[in-house]
Amino acid sequence: MRAIPTLKISISGVRGVIGQSLTPRLLTRFAQAFGTHTGSGTIVVGRDPRTSGEMVKHAVIAGILSSGGRVVDIGVCPVPTVQLQVRRRKAHGGIAITASHNPAEWNALKFIGPNGLFLDAGQARELLDIYHQGEYTKVGGDEIRTVEEVEGATDAHIKSIIDELGPLPEAGRKLRVVLDSCNGAGSIVGPKLLEALGAEVISINTTPDGSFPRPAEPLPENLGDLCDAVKKHHADVGFAQDMDADRLAIVSEQGTPIGEDYTLVLAALYVLGHERGPVVANLSTTSALEDVARKFDCPLFLTKIGEVNVTDKMQQQNAVIGGEGNGGVIYPRINFARDSLVGMALVLHLLAESGKTVSQLLDQFPKYTVVKERMVCPSEKIPAVLKMLRQEYGRFPLDTRDGVKVTLPEGWFLVRGSNTEPIIRVVAESSEESKAREIVARVYEQVARCIT
Amino acid sequence: MKPLKIGITGVRGIVGETFTPELAVEFAQAFGTYLDGGRILVCRDTRPSGPMIRSAVLSGLLAAGCEIVDLGVCPTPSMQLAVKWLEADGGIAITAGHNPWRWNALKFVRGDGLYLNASQAEELLDIFHQGEFLKANWKVIRSSIEYADPIPKHIETLKKAFAVDVIRKRRLVVAVDCCNGACSFLSPRWLETLGCEVLVLNNDPGAPFPHAPEPKPTTMAQLCAIVKAGRADIGFAHDADGERLGIVTDLGEPLSEEMTLALAAEIRLRKQSGTVVTNVSTTQAIECIASQHGANVVRTPVGQAYISEGLLEHNGVLGGEGSGGITVPEVHLTHDSAAAIGLILEHLAQTAEHVSDMVQHLPRLATLKHDVAVAPHRLYSVLQEFRSVVEQEGLTYDSIDGVKVTLPVGWVHVRASNTESIIRIIVEAKEKSKAVELLDWTRDRLKK
Repeated sequence: MRAIPTLKISISGVRGVIGQSLTPRLLTRFAQAFGTHTGSGTIVVGRDPRTSGEMVKHAVIAGILSSGGRVVDIGVCPVPTVQLQVRRRKAHGGIAITASHNPAEWNALKFIGPNGLFLDAGQARELLDIYHQGEYTKVGGDEIRTVEEVEGATDAHIKSIIDELGPLPEAGRKLRVVLDSCNGAGSIVGPKLLEALGAEVISINTTPDGSFPRPAEPLPENLGDLCDAVKKHHADVGFAQDMDADRLAIVSEQGTPIGEDYTLVLAALYVLGHERGPVVANLSTTSALEDVARKFDCPLFLTKIGEVNVTDKMQQQNAVIGGEGNGGVIYPRINFARDSLVGMALVLHLLAESGKTVSQLLDQFPKYTVVKERMVCPSEKIPAVLKMLRQEYGRFPLDTRDGVKVTLPEGWFLVRGSNTEPIIRVVAESSEESKAREIVARVYEQVARCIT
Repeated sequence: MKPLKIGITGVRGIVGETFTPELAVEFAQAFGTYLDGGRILVCRDTRPSGPMIRSAVLSGLLAAGCEIVDLGVCPTPSMQLAVKWLEADGGIAITAGHNPWRWNALKFVRGDGLYLNASQAEELLDIFHQGEFLKANWKVIRSSIEYADPIPKHIETLKKAFAVDVIRKRRLVVAVDCCNGACSFLSPRWLETLGCEVLVLNNDPGAPFPHAPEPKPTTMAQLCAIVKAGRADIGFAHDADGERLGIVTDLGEPLSEEMTLALAAEIRLRKQSGTVVTNVSTTQAIECIASQHGANVVRTPVGQAYISEGLLEHNGVLGGEGSGGITVPEVHLTHDSAAAIGLILEHLAQTAEHVSDMVQHLPRLATLKHDVAVAPHRLYSVLQEFRSVVEQEGLTYDSIDGVKVTLPVGWVHVRASNTESIIRIIVEAKEKSKAVELLDWTRDRLKK
């Protein structure tokens, strides 16, 4: 089998390994293509604290300037801060330098349009075409524009959250929070926000130096230190961010990870309690969200996977809350982006307002268990896998917008190829853990048989 | 074809045309590879493309695993000095020196603060062309860059090389045109340190060049006016990055850039006889001055790296070129207009002579310079054809750099520019009319 390439150029951006495929030449050319695509306007650039961030940033700045753009460099910050700044400044676009949950050796460029949203599939294809054609706008040496280095973009982000949601009510007991920022982009801004809200903060992993104290994805198995700290400090809640601080996972007051699917569930519980309206999520989201929407008599729309698809639908439906099952909460009153800071603020307000613990809040609803599996799969085999599943499960309700989602009497499962890696993902949910495991095991075996 | 020169003096081109960010990125990465990672200084002049090229260079160096100290906008010689005290392995100067506003270039400096010599530059080019660069992985790559200001140390070094107390006592009135270039940060401070009354013009590094950043009589009209109006003892004109120096006398007369070295040689050799190192294209007046002082002259190909090597080899007392670049070995072995200023002002202070009087006594030859634009792919062929013509006429010539022919009335030198796609002709004779004849003689033969 040939080596799996370490470079991924796709409609979700360009992603690669430092010291191998992600070279400064490639990066500066991509930035030129983006500058050309945005018509030489103002472009906001921010990065996560990976060790390669400075190298990547300068390649990007050179490319933008060469294509006639003006750069606003907001330094190390969460991805949603970049998105917020693009909208605030009415910039023509943004580039977020982060490989989000990928390990330390990776980095990536994510391209943001003038509205603060990631480029949609069509815009991203245009960008790729320009990149591949290799003919970029080049302004003369006397017309090159400037780089504005801005401090305080994250403070503006905090302010916009406090302005919208207010600090926690003073009447109640001060909430005690343990925050695990994974030494990522949320390391500085996360504790600041929590203090501004009026919580008592205990921080772990808040040194943004590009070291990864744990795998960046806030999955239950990566949150051992956080769970211990929550128990040790008798905290009300534990929050875990990923490297670029768009995703948020929650640990209950008992020191148990509640599963990143439930972040959006709790956020929706707070938002819908104050304002009814449509909810949007992707089709890999827990049924618990459906239960919450039903409780408030609000419609739930499920989209294809990918932040862009969710935000598109949210705008279309004028949704009041949305997001993804991976811990990405989108609250349009503040930011049309997955935003762990907004997520933390919403959940803390919910705790303060209800006076209940995380466990008590979750106990109101039926319990679901989500089980996820992945396997390496050559991309040419994916269509055959999906076809097999459509035939095998043809008697159940099917959703084939993104892979195959099958709704079974005892739960549901989803099988799809990844956009970012040569793997196939299997997700299943059921009200009983054993059933969820059974479903995944059965489907996994069927898929494996189909591949070999 | 559009101008781009990749050669032993670095890489140079027009931003927006040939000088692209990917070119700068890859050259920086090649240089980082050449130095095997290492600690590298980066500086730039005031061109608006500077920040763009800087970012490209930083990215390429970081990718190759280098440690970077950014000196911001400063004269190239300030960076060259800093290589030593910042214990760096090399440096990149982002400056197109005397070229127009839209140009930019990378110049590569090695661990002793001197430019790469011809064979080192060849090695760098080989790495660039081969395209296989060092790539630091995430554990090795530097996540931040350092910053430093090289100007105070530069002034400190200059102070040690000249009789500052003597100069201070004289309270000379000095006009200086910084061309809104990198010298805006150095020259006025240095002159104030020397106790001069300074009449500064064009010292706004944020503004465009007020005129071509090439100090010669045609660009010094404004400076002449200031010298006259301010009754200055002397006027100095800088290029964009602090290598070349032009001079206006106390009478407000602009001197040919060839005279900068002539004046410096006269001053230097009066104090200490020794070898003067200059290039084949520089005025013969240097030989006349040297012989008056019992000194000798060594001629090298055109380019600073050759002058530096010549000074090292011959233990020279002064180096320089007809373009106005002066090297004072006590400061360092590279062109430095601030060092040239120190040398000249020290002499004026110690002797109370007037520049205009000194110039009267210097041999003055008629030197004419003429550039012929040639398509880049024809540059060396044209030169070769000229050589054949000269050979057919049975004339002897010197081929140390291009073709230099010495005729009874004077000499002619024809060479390919290191930095632009042009053939440079320089001729010199005792009288102007003879020089014009020599120029015609040369142009006739170039046309053949």
